Amino acid sequence: MEALPAAVAERLRALIYNERSIAYLQVDAGLTLVGAGGHLEAYGLTGLRLGEPAAEQAFFLEGLLPPVETPCVVPSVELASGRAADLQFFLEGEMCWVVLLDVSADRDAARRMQQKAYDMTLAQEREALLNRQLEAANAALLATQSELEASRDALARAHDQVQAQAAELAAWNKTLEERVAAQLAEIERMARLKRFFAPALAELIVSSGNEHILESHRRDVAVLFCDLRGFTAFAESAEPEELMTLLHDYHAALVPLIQTFEGTLDRFVGDGLMVYFNDPLPCPNPAERAVALAVAMRGAVAALAQTWRRHDYQLGFGIGIAQGFATLGQIGFEGRFDYSAIGTVINTAARLCEAAKDGQILVTSRVAAAVAAVADLGEIGPLTLKGLSRPLAVCNIEAFKSTDAKVA
Amino acid sequence: MTVTLQKKICMLGGFSVGKTSLVKRFVESIFSETYLTTVGVKIDKKIIDLSDRIVNLILWDLAGEDDISSLRMSYLRGSAGYVLVADGTRPSTLEVALSLRRRVEADFGPLPFVLLLNKNDLREQWAIRDEEVEDLRTSGWWVQSTSARTGEGVDDAFGTLAEQLAR
Repeated sequence: MEALPAAVAERLRALIYNERSIAYLQVDAGLTLVGAGGHLEAYGLTGLRLGEPAAEQAFFLEGLLPPVETPCVVPSVELASGRAADLQFFLEGEMCWVVLLDVSADRDAARRMQQKAYDMTLAQEREALLNRQLEAANAALLATQSELEASRDALARAHDQVQAQAAELAAWNKTLEERVAAQLAEIERMARLKRFFAPALAELIVSSGNEHILESHRRDVAVLFCDLRGFTAFAESAEPEELMTLLHDYHAALVPLIQTFEGTLDRFVGDGLMVYFNDPLPCPNPAERAVALAVAMRGAVAALAQTWRRHDYQLGFGIGIAQGFATLGQIGFEGRFDYSAIGTVINTAARLCEAAKDGQILVTSRVAAAVAAVADLGEIGPLTLKGLSRPLAVCNIEAFKSTDAKVA
Repeated sequence: MTVTLQKKICMLGGFSVGKTSLVKRFVESIFSETYLTTVGVKIDKKIIDLSDRIVNLILWDLAGEDDISSLRMSYLRGSAGYVLVADGTRPSTLEVALSLRRRVEADFGPLPFVLLLNKNDLREQWAIRDEEVEDLRTSGWWVQSTSARTGEGVDDAFGTLAEQLAR
């Protein structure tokens, strides 16, 4: 290197020494401070004690002495004074020189640039973090929206299901109401029909759904009349309560039998009852059925008569049965209807009943013929009956063994 | 007579993780909200009394570098141990700390160190998984959550390292 003129070199040295705050430390091989000089105060290096360990006084030297290579530099070291210095190390024999060269201005300039770069990086990191948080929030919102949509769909399905069930329920309700109405109508019809017919028969008519049978028609029927002998005289002398009790017992004994034998109870007239068979529903052997009922009635009244005799009631029981065509049907008007039969056969049966003595069951020859195989018949002979122009052949049923499984 | 030791330790970690703030909290017990990046290295001293001995800790607060190749290894020369610092709210800084540790160990061999997960006062922004920290502890690392703002864990961390250096 070309040697500088002495004046220039001196000027440069003065410039560097003052402007770069040159300071130096001299350390021997035992790491003892043996020399120091320059702008030591600029770096806070005051009160140095020569002959004592260097690193204890200039603690930034800890670990750096002796230098492993020389010369070497530890750049931009900020000391307690706040100044930054490059630490230059070099050896001279066994002596180590440490020169401090102020780089505070460079440090400050670098800091300003570095600060901007780091601030920008930090801002970018924060922006990236915010973006990630926004994306996560967005994803969570989308997931929530998806869940809400699924919930809404499920709710809509549940709503549709409930609506369908409600419609189904309404339909069931309507059906139920219709059924109830139909059953009420049926009960009403049944109640009306039971006035005329045995309950089983009334149910049969209702279940068949054919009430046309109540319309006026002709039918071959067996007609049974029965009443008590001596009842008129008894009624004259008995108390009304006694009379009503007797009639109640009498009807309570006979009416169930009529129902059992499926006869049609036409009417009560005091102690008199009129029953016919083969109408409104047909039955096999109406005459036999009528005779079977008559025999059962006779037995029932005989049992009652034992009680009556204890009360000194002098009452007998007679029955008349005839068979023939009669006109039958519902008679009356709105609010009061009866089902009844009209015809000669009715009169005949009634007259036979009148003619019958206590315990007799008087039947026409036609009825007698119909039950001849199963009954013991007593010949009564021709009777002239009121209202009939010719005498009538009449038999009494003395004993009877029915072949009708229904009434046997 | 109480023995006095003097030990150089280096503060290592990515930029803006709080190395300078930790040193300031440890040495001067103060905290500044203003972030002022470190250029080169800043040297401080703290005396720790360990009852049976006194340790003069010479703290070399190195400029934060995310690029570990930029690390001036000359600063670490003569260091007896080091403090790795990561920012608990920035997971990338833990990766930087782990890389720095590998670099230091490659050049200087195994030295005592502690890992500080700083900014524990910003717990709601914490982004380092507990499992990862547990794995490090399981492998023998001394890991401490710290806050230069509140002082949480700071003295404990430096004291622990000083204990290791004084053995």
